[in-house]
Amino acid sequence: MADALKPTYEDIDRAVMRTLEPPGLGYWLGVGFLATIVLLAIGAWTRQIYEGLGVTGLTQPTMWAIYITNFVFWVGIAHSGTLISAILFLFRTRWRTAVYRAAETMTGFAVITAGLFPLIHLGRSWFFYWLLPYPNERGLQPDFRSPLVWDAFAVSTYLTVSWTFLLVGLIPDVAAAREKSSGWRRQLYTVFALGWRGSDEQWRHFSTVYLLMAGLATPLVISVHSVVSWDFAMAQLPGWHSTIFAPYFVAGAIFSGCAMVMTLLIPMRKLLHLENEITAWHFDNLAKIVLLTSLVVSYAYITESFMTWYSADPFEITTFNMRYWGPYGPLFWLMVFCNCVVPLFLFSPRIRVNLKALFVISIFVNIGMWLERFVIIAGSLTTNFMPSQWAFYHPSLTEITITAGSFAWFLMLFTLFCRVFPIVSMTEVKEGISWLRQALVESYKKAA
Amino acid sequence: MSEFVNVIGSFADEEESVHAIEELRHSGIGAVHAFAPFPSEKIQEAMAQPKSPVRACVLAGGITGALSGFALTIGLSMLWPHYVGGKPIVSIPPFVIIAFELMILFGALSGLAGLLFFGRLPQFDPIPGYSARFGSDRFGVVVRCADGEAQRAETMLRQSGAEQVEREAG
Repeated sequence: MADALKPTYEDIDRAVMRTLEPPGLGYWLGVGFLATIVLLAIGAWTRQIYEGLGVTGLTQPTMWAIYITNFVFWVGIAHSGTLISAILFLFRTRWRTAVYRAAETMTGFAVITAGLFPLIHLGRSWFFYWLLPYPNERGLQPDFRSPLVWDAFAVSTYLTVSWTFLLVGLIPDVAAAREKSSGWRRQLYTVFALGWRGSDEQWRHFSTVYLLMAGLATPLVISVHSVVSWDFAMAQLPGWHSTIFAPYFVAGAIFSGCAMVMTLLIPMRKLLHLENEITAWHFDNLAKIVLLTSLVVSYAYITESFMTWYSADPFEITTFNMRYWGPYGPLFWLMVFCNCVVPLFLFSPRIRVNLKALFVISIFVNIGMWLERFVIIAGSLTTNFMPSQWAFYHPSLTEITITAGSFAWFLMLFTLFCRVFPIVSMTEVKEGISWLRQALVESYKKAA
Repeated sequence: MSEFVNVIGSFADEEESVHAIEELRHSGIGAVHAFAPFPSEKIQEAMAQPKSPVRACVLAGGITGALSGFALTIGLSMLWPHYVGGKPIVSIPPFVIIAFELMILFGALSGLAGLLFFGRLPQFDPIPGYSARFGSDRFGVVVRCADGEAQRAETMLRQSGAEQVEREAG
């Protein structure tokens, strides 16, 4: 027991290296199951490309629906990874060290998943490059005053920077893994480690660049979801045209992302036997962020409704009445339950360290935040300025399959990554080993 | 002509390795460098390293990115004017968003380039004195000194708490 409470550097290496051992049959069955769903989604997308967007439920005036909901949802999921890896790094938050790699990996794959949806939504996906500025003879250039072009720049920058940050952070860890591996893994780690030896000269440059990248990623993460929110807020549509959207979306992104971190970490910690590295202390702190951002999001819902009432704008009021009491009303109230009511349980310190309860709460938040985007996007479009145009959207099987495929795709990539690269940063956990020891003692006390 | 050797001390404790670095640097016995399994601020202080030039790379990249963003948006809008809703062709507020994103992008990529350049990565040749354990659970202090001084360096390393001291041809 004494040893378990006082891990050494070697213990940390051993625990993390154990996650890189060849996985068993159960793991591959799980990956195979996820891959099957991904294949079904690829089939659905192929059919959509062949048949056209008519196979979706999109209909005037609701031409943005589930695909754009998924895009916003996945970009939002990505944000908490950068919050944990960059913003909490700048604040020197102690509990981030053991969980930031998993969160950052989640970010990388969530942005990749998000990036697929504008392509899927385009219908003619092969024309995606029309959003990019390049010399051409057609007399066409993207309109830089359009939020969709800002979005293309913001999301592609975010994708590049978040992966750069992840891969730079991996260098010392894969170098450590290289020394303890053999065969193809050793070759792979040798390539990714770039010959890293951990000399004082290398650490000098690494520490500086890591700090500066965290400093760059921090405003980036806030800008990206603000830009995503402006895809909507810049339009004149009732339900979208609101100045509150940027902070409201950023808070919502961190809320949903931290919930997704918990959804991933809780089973991962158990399956990879990382109980001594990721403790109740880490979950307690994550839960506090979820609680805080839930309160911010709840406040945003109230403010949004208040501003609609106060504006006395009949179009806005009609849209909000439809949001509460129209055909999507049950989804709105389910969203309120998931995002505003369920997280209130996190006020209880006992629930914040009860992993089963946290897992259930995190699932509710994931559902709630997906619904929030759907209610805002599809709900607002269905009730535009002209009641004669109103038409309610129902997702088709193609859209549902592709949506399910995106979750499977994300989970499959994350699951594969966990077994190939160190999912807990050995370097940073060692750097903060005294905090981990303290956390373990606290966790045992709580368990007792 | 005297031969040079690398005297390598392996430490389990960070503080002891810091002590060894300070002692060796103070003695002026030879060039000292260190290995650590994580970025140790104490070791970096003891080595009295100057600030990394990577900072300048990030700054230059950021400025270049922001300027590129403005050049791209203003230049292309003027070359291909497209009137939308009475908005000016050169609309600075929306262009700031593109310039901001490119500032971050170029800044981060320049930082990566700076790390690779100044950190001399990728580097697949061995670094003198490196041992696999220095990436895991030991701190390494290496001093490159004249053969005749090696004994003194070994003694200093042991007195500082090195659990293992080795010599390697320099």
